Amino acid sequence: MSISHLSPNSSALEEGAPAMEGSFVSAVQLTKQFGEHKAVNDVSLDVAKGEVISIIGPSGAGKSSLIRCLNLLEVPSSGRLRIGDATVDFDTGTPSKASVRNLRNYTGMVFQSFNLFPHFTALKNVTLPQMRVHRRSKAEAEERAMQELKRVGLESKAGAYPAQCSGGQQQRIAIARALAMDPQLMLFDEPTSGLDPEIGAEILQVMRKLASDNMTMLVVTHEMEFARHVSNQVAVMVEGSIIEQGPPEQIMTAPNNIRTQKFLSAVLGR
Amino acid sequence: MFEIFAYIARGAGWTIVMTFGSAAIGIVLGLPLLVLAESKFALIRGIYNSIVHVIRGVPTLVWLFISFFGVGQLGITLSPVTASLLTLSIIATAYMSEIYRGGMKAIPAGQWEAAGALNLDRWSTLRFVIGPQLFRAVSPSVATQIIGLLKDSALVSTIGVADLVFRAGIMTQYHAHGLYMFGIAGAVYLLLSLPIAVFSRTVHTRITRRYAVA
Ligand SMILES: Nc1ncnc2c1ncn2[C@@H]1O[C@H](COP(=O)(O)OP(=O)(O)OP(=O)(O)O)[C@@H](O)[C@H]1O
Ligand SMILES: [Mg+2]
Repeated sequence: MSISHLSPNSSALEEGAPAMEGSFVSAVQLTKQFGEHKAVNDVSLDVAKGEVISIIGPSGAGKSSLIRCLNLLEVPSSGRLRIGDATVDFDTGTPSKASVRNLRNYTGMVFQSFNLFPHFTALKNVTLPQMRVHRRSKAEAEERAMQELKRVGLESKAGAYPAQCSGGQQQRIAIARALAMDPQLMLFDEPTSGLDPEIGAEILQVMRKLASDNMTMLVVTHEMEFARHVSNQVAVMVEGSIIEQGPPEQIMTAPNNIRTQKFLSAVLGR
Repeated sequence: MFEIFAYIARGAGWTIVMTFGSAAIGIVLGLPLLVLAESKFALIRGIYNSIVHVIRGVPTLVWLFISFFGVGQLGITLSPVTASLLTLSIIATAYMSEIYRGGMKAIPAGQWEAAGALNLDRWSTLRFVIGPQLFRAVSPSVATQIIGLLKDSALVSTIGVADLVFRAGIMTQYHAHGLYMFGIAGAVYLLLSLPIAVFSRTVHTRITRRYAVA
């Protein structure tokens, strides 16, 4: 865990403190602008290897935009980003195809709406990207796919099409699909929001296991229990900025920022 | 009696060539046009939109006459068959590319995003993720369009291509009995549209069987 995370004062982050030695992900002064509106406004964020950071905050705060900036589904308007050995500088124009590819090689993403390929079985969903991107043979890719489906408890659904699976099952297949690509950073954008609470709990269970296997994770979530008990850090985002970041206990029980207090009292109902 | 039937039915040859020739060209050439239709440059989209609007806004018969009688004035003489095939193909291409454009809209943005997040390159995304879903999305409309082309192809008789209608017309001139002659032509059109409808239905049920569960 890097020092900057321990600082409850976010001003050091907002001024774009240089990346900490040893941080695995380092975002510096990222801004994403849609027209006039800054969905992400000068956000800096460091993530150490194996760290789990939950990003919480009100609707429209820019949480999705921020994590989509990390795998370049949204190309930031300015700032710099490093994941592992891949670096991109957005101040010098649009990133090259090669740098996008290098960066994405480190990341896997899980969406609120699953986004499985509906015309493929679960197995093919998990197999095809491995074959196309990592050039694995069919046998290799299928063996790996079965391992990952097993990890999420769905080997039995290998031959099923997404439409034949429940929402919770689809989301677990989507997680298996991402994991089979050997990501070193997993990005989750409200993976349980579209699901019933009991079903969401299955997904959270899978994520908890992943965290205990030392996966580095950034999780946009409304699940305060998960944020509190699974993540090492909680970042609070409001109006495009991370207004506060720290250990979950501190953020949940003794937030410094008045807007964090307001947000938490709204979601926790106290 | 049978000779008359056989004479008219032989017109199915040109009807089939016109219909499926132009359909095939439209199905293939409509795809690259999609690149223009979806271009990020407003100017290119504007040009595409105007061209498609002009092609679709003028009656097929008028285009047929323009390419047969009109282009001749520019010093290029097209045979009836060439003029017909050219005209129907251009029209088919405009319609197919609009069908593809509609089909693209039906594919959720999440499909592109998932492919991007998985690091699939552009070609793999189009070939394995978008293409198959596009095919399923457009196949009913494409089938409808082919049946439309089949019926439009009757217009080529007006510039002398010896299709079903042309031959039914000749038989009527010789023997009268127009009801009978054009009845035969009509029946053959129906017969030709049948496999297209069946194909479309088969594709559709194969898809819904997979998709629509749950
Ligand atoms: N593609 C886009 N074009 C224009 N504006 C956008 C786009 N994507 C997001 N925005 C805007 O950026 C802001 C942040 O959106 P974002 O989806 O990142 O918020 P969020 O924190 O994820 O909210 P939620 O909790 O509702 O998912 C919003 O005002 C939104 O309207
Ligand atoms: Mg969001």
